[in-house]
Amino acid sequence: MKMWNTALAISMVAAMTAVPALAQDKTLNMIVIEGGDTTAMQAVVDAYTAAHPGTKINLQPYPFAQFFQVAELRLRSKDTGIDLVYVDAPLVASYASRGFLAPIDASIDTSTLVSAAIDAGKYDTTQFALPINNSAQVLFYNKKLFADAGITAPDGLTAGQNASQADVDTLGSSKRWTWEQVADAAQKLTVKDGGRTTQYGFTVEQFGELYQLQPLGESLGTDVIAPDGVTAKGYLDSEAWVKAGTYWSSLYNEWAVSPKSLGYGEAAQLFGNGQLAMFAGGTWNLPILAQTGVDFGVAPFPYFEGGKVLTPTGSWYVGVNAASTNQAEAFDFAKFLTTSDEGTRVWFKALNQLPVSKPLLDEISTSADFDAFPNNVFRLGVYDSLNTAKARPVTAAYGQLQDAFRTAFVDMANGVAVKDALESAVQKFESAAARVAR
Amino acid sequence: MVRSKTPLFLLAVLLAPALVGLVVFRLYPIALAVSDSFFNMLRGNQVFVGLDNYVALFTDSAFWKSLQVTLWFNLLINPIQIALALGLALLYVQKFKGVAFYRVLFLIPIGVSLPTAVIIWRIMLSPDGLANGVLNIAGVPGQPWLTSESLALYSIIAIATWKGISYWMIFIIGGLQNISPEIYDAARVDGIKPWQRLVFITVPLLRPTLLFVLVADVSINFLLFAPIFMLTQGGPADSTNVLMYEAFKSGFIFGDMGRAMAIIVVVVVILLLIVGLQFRLLAGKPEGK
Repeated sequence: MKMWNTALAISMVAAMTAVPALAQDKTLNMIVIEGGDTTAMQAVVDAYTAAHPGTKINLQPYPFAQFFQVAELRLRSKDTGIDLVYVDAPLVASYASRGFLAPIDASIDTSTLVSAAIDAGKYDTTQFALPINNSAQVLFYNKKLFADAGITAPDGLTAGQNASQADVDTLGSSKRWTWEQVADAAQKLTVKDGGRTTQYGFTVEQFGELYQLQPLGESLGTDVIAPDGVTAKGYLDSEAWVKAGTYWSSLYNEWAVSPKSLGYGEAAQLFGNGQLAMFAGGTWNLPILAQTGVDFGVAPFPYFEGGKVLTPTGSWYVGVNAASTNQAEAFDFAKFLTTSDEGTRVWFKALNQLPVSKPLLDEISTSADFDAFPNNVFRLGVYDSLNTAKARPVTAAYGQLQDAFRTAFVDMANGVAVKDALESAVQKFESAAARVAR
Repeated sequence: MVRSKTPLFLLAVLLAPALVGLVVFRLYPIALAVSDSFFNMLRGNQVFVGLDNYVALFTDSAFWKSLQVTLWFNLLINPIQIALALGLALLYVQKFKGVAFYRVLFLIPIGVSLPTAVIIWRIMLSPDGLANGVLNIAGVPGQPWLTSESLALYSIIAIATWKGISYWMIFIIGGLQNISPEIYDAARVDGIKPWQRLVFITVPLLRPTLLFVLVADVSINFLLFAPIFMLTQGGPADSTNVLMYEAFKSGFIFGDMGRAMAIIVVVVVILLLIVGLQFRLLAGKPEGK
């Protein structure tokens, strides 16, 4: 008995000393994507904690490839070890429908944010996530490799040349390359030595990902899935998608201008080494590429000849874990990150992604700071987000769609017949989505 | 009475950690998996659906394809691994010049962790990697090791075998050293040829060791996940989509934990059946009875 009494006394003393300590120092945990996102988030965290010395924010970075699984698992298990979570735009519905996220504190003023971005964070008219930024995809091209091959580079923004928002609007509306032009140039820019490719003509940054490839088929006229969110037959296996898939497959198999199975971040690396002539990627690559010494230009995201111009959009949101015991503090940081002048500015400077904050967007369009390259590339993002951006489909089965889509596009790049791959994706998505809808 | 009480108490204390471990790390998760397989967890709340997850599974072509891949994979990999491990073990116990060097080579794969080994192999088997470089020098075109429907599963078999056989070799070496040299001496006197020695003496006397290796190897290969997750993610065209990967995808990518658990239960049942069959066919009578 004596031993138990002693233990009890010790634990009570420990509890009494621990409680005031906790009240003073709240530690918030946030899961983020490893790499640039973590560095940028740390900058925001530093700015926030400088003004809120009582709060500590501990970032838990995970690699992009595992992030979705980790978030799914930890939110599902009502893990109180995370307070704030990164949410990909199309997953808001899936998380919210399962009660993973706390509804956003109504006192947070979101009037300075782009309304489309705000709406994408809603589920059943309730706001569940706040947009951190938007995204824009562009075509990066290596000017020297084009000159060496003796072919004309696309019209774009390059170093040493200023561009007003009006100039950029003209570029986006009338000088955009087609995917056919990209393929043609890519074949001339691919160099083989023996059996080995020493220089690739073109690739996309996110190999097989729906986010980047959705405009391929949709710009030809057919959406990825039906508006009901659970049907894909007649959509992903339509003529438009077969044409898009054939183009994609040809990049890897027939023309062999793109490297197979490219990991995340490897496109920018190849481009920076001068082994890749063009790639479609996010504006977040600008600071990385600026350090490589490669003389590059930035052109608008291409479209299919005769098709409609559509570009990828949507990005990451922040949500508060419904199981978090520090919700008030978590909302306060989310508010700083997404709506405050300081928070949005620090984030934009650190990550170089298209903002959703209207004051920042206005500044990009009008301030002389954005006249010169590479800052003027953000004006291209502004043009696209106003004119050509197409959001990803809203469905509670988004995870299922993303996986079926990725599998199909990776398989096609690996030489699986286009129709078979798309039909298999339709079948996989529909059977998985039916389980969600039940 | 007093005397028997003390050893029993001591026994309980000594066994407690193992028993607690067994319950916490083996029995409880199994019970949890079985019970979770009766629920639909795709919504925020868990809904009891009885055998629905199993019915859905058995009417789903993706599951059948995955089962087929899993069985084919195991049908190939286990005999290959055991035959190679036996061969290496026989070589390992020989005495010839430079044997120490070969012994070190044989043991290298054990020293490398599985993820590290998989990453090294991924780089070697990438389209512009070392393997294709060697082929190109020999005038053979590069092969799509991990990106072709017809090759990917066999590449994974090769990688898992490279990583696994030295481990099984060590058990077999132990078994070989338990065989009395007198039996071989007697055989030599009787003029038995080396291959007869292997077939009629070594292998029968190794039976208990080989049974253990077979059962453990089958269990490990049935649950093999890391190389598939890291190299092919079940593709291309589902050619490497074993049941463990299908379960992982259901649970952690789709949030469909009920389906994932149903798959796990099916895997465990199949594994128990296979292992039970192996014991029946191979165990024979216990020694000395």
